[in-house]
Amino acid sequence: MPRTKTINQDQGEKTENPYLPRPTKITLVRRESPDCFLIRTDLKSKYEPGQFFQVSIPGIGEAPISVASYSQDFLDLNIREVGNVTKYLSKLKKGDTLFIRGPYGKGYPMEKLFGKSLMLIGGGSGVAPLKGILTYVDQHKDSFGDVTIYFGFRTPDDILFKEEMKQWRRKYQLNMSVDKNPKKAKISCDVCFITNLVEKAKLNPENKVVFICGPPVMMKITIELLKNKGFKEDQIYISTERLMKCALGVCGHCMIHGKYTCLDGPVFRYDEISQDRND
Amino acid sequence: MLKINKSSFNDFLTDIMRYNELVAPVKTDESRFEVVKDISMIQMDLHTYFPAKKFFFKKHQTLYSAEKNRFTVPELVTDKKQRVMIGLKRCDLNSIKRQDMMFMKETRDPYYTEERERTILIGHHCNQPFDEYCFCSSMDLGDFYDLMLYDKDDAYLVEIGSEKGRNFVDRYRKYFWDTDLFLRAEDRRIETKLQLNKRDISQYYNNPDWKKGVDQCFSCAACVTLCPSCYCFDLYDEVDAKLSKSEKKRNWDSCQLHCFTKVAGGHIFRDTREDRFKHRIYHQLQYFKDRHGMNLCTGCGRCIRGCPTRINFIQILNEMKEQA
Repeated sequence: MPRTKTINQDQGEKTENPYLPRPTKITLVRRESPDCFLIRTDLKSKYEPGQFFQVSIPGIGEAPISVASYSQDFLDLNIREVGNVTKYLSKLKKGDTLFIRGPYGKGYPMEKLFGKSLMLIGGGSGVAPLKGILTYVDQHKDSFGDVTIYFGFRTPDDILFKEEMKQWRRKYQLNMSVDKNPKKAKISCDVCFITNLVEKAKLNPENKVVFICGPPVMMKITIELLKNKGFKEDQIYISTERLMKCALGVCGHCMIHGKYTCLDGPVFRYDEISQDRND
Repeated sequence: MLKINKSSFNDFLTDIMRYNELVAPVKTDESRFEVVKDISMIQMDLHTYFPAKKFFFKKHQTLYSAEKNRFTVPELVTDKKQRVMIGLKRCDLNSIKRQDMMFMKETRDPYYTEERERTILIGHHCNQPFDEYCFCSSMDLGDFYDLMLYDKDDAYLVEIGSEKGRNFVDRYRKYFWDTDLFLRAEDRRIETKLQLNKRDISQYYNNPDWKKGVDQCFSCAACVTLCPSCYCFDLYDEVDAKLSKSEKKRNWDSCQLHCFTKVAGGHIFRDTREDRFKHRIYHQLQYFKDRHGMNLCTGCGRCIRGCPTRINFIQILNEMKEQA
């Protein structure tokens, strides 16, 4: 019979085992769209926008979820129900325990970008990591130039962060689009792909950095458009999605041409990986 | 210089077995490293078909079990005996060095570290390459061992490579004799017939000749399973029949399998066999070197020897022509 050791984390016992998740309490669950919801936990530790956590349900599995907030008092995770773990997460309620490991990876290098104007381009649940940037900007108002936002969603029902959207519309130059409007809902945004809006816009690349997060096709097209408009690759930051198992830079699943998404990313400055084949 | 006389080598091994777990190359159905019960089974010259990595980076490892929000980890570092591994070849030893870098330096993996720290590595130098698939002499292997044995007529010459090795010699001093014999540079060298002629393969990624290997590949992952350096793994949860208790498990995984890069939603990043085949070769010969300054591959030849269609990636690379 192998000997074992129980870790009583609920009594504050700490462990250096990098695989063990730690418990947090869920303080808020908010349905965002038919397949997306936001979970807020009481995690009190430092993290950066763009980083991610491994969220685990013992017995079901783990899923990498990017942070959608910037605070030392809580952590917001925007979760899309696409797999086993995320489907199970959607059943959790306020007061439940959520197990997490992290934060992992490199986030957006906000401090290095002081003085720049920012452009955020997000598609679907790719808007979530960018939400953290906007909170960061709120807390460092004088450190950045103007902020332009391009957010695209599939349908009006899929629009995320409707509450926050109102504030962002007031504070920043917010451009929004939906791919289609099947229910003919009354909406105050364009019906087209977000890339069409970017294409039409008059953009001045000077002193600007762009953050892109969204489906691979949308990111690819957006990058091409921006390059045609005179943006350089080192002005563009993208957030990449890969399968991440260990999040410790060992298991190999998230490797992109020798770079570990979980260590060197998930946020990459585009010139760092533009030469790399998509493998 | 120290030596062990071959006439007393069996006594030496028997003595080791008395208080330690002795692991050595043995041949049963296939050749592999096993815990030795009977020293007559040991074949020091054997370059095993299966690698030695399973003793540290286990095929199946339970990381923790969870029950009602409480986690239990298997007790690490207990009264387990010291393990003495003997007969490791230079390629095997260098592979352990590479796995140490991943599991003890990049991140301190408690499961690996425990097994590694209780082990003494005693190498056995190949005077001849084992077969036509060995290509270690083109892989810049370094010295990495606690003790290294060189077969010289009726004795093994012994080189000490670490503090751990020195302490071990002190403990079994009666088997070690001082000798005037010494090692020349050529005694340490292994000249393999198969050689990788290209040190830098970065220019060959889009070469059409990859097809030669890809066309014969079944994506069966034998190459990765037999590789002593490959360290990729899968993590998954296993639930008991009552659904009340679960275990987080770690298994060997392979980049050659189709689902290796599959994300939720179904997208597979390395979808074609060519993507996966090249990924393995580039990880072995370029990516790891970019990060850690040495090839992941140690030239043991197991991936070629064990491939059902004997894909010889060294030959494929050697025959690749530079493109204009």
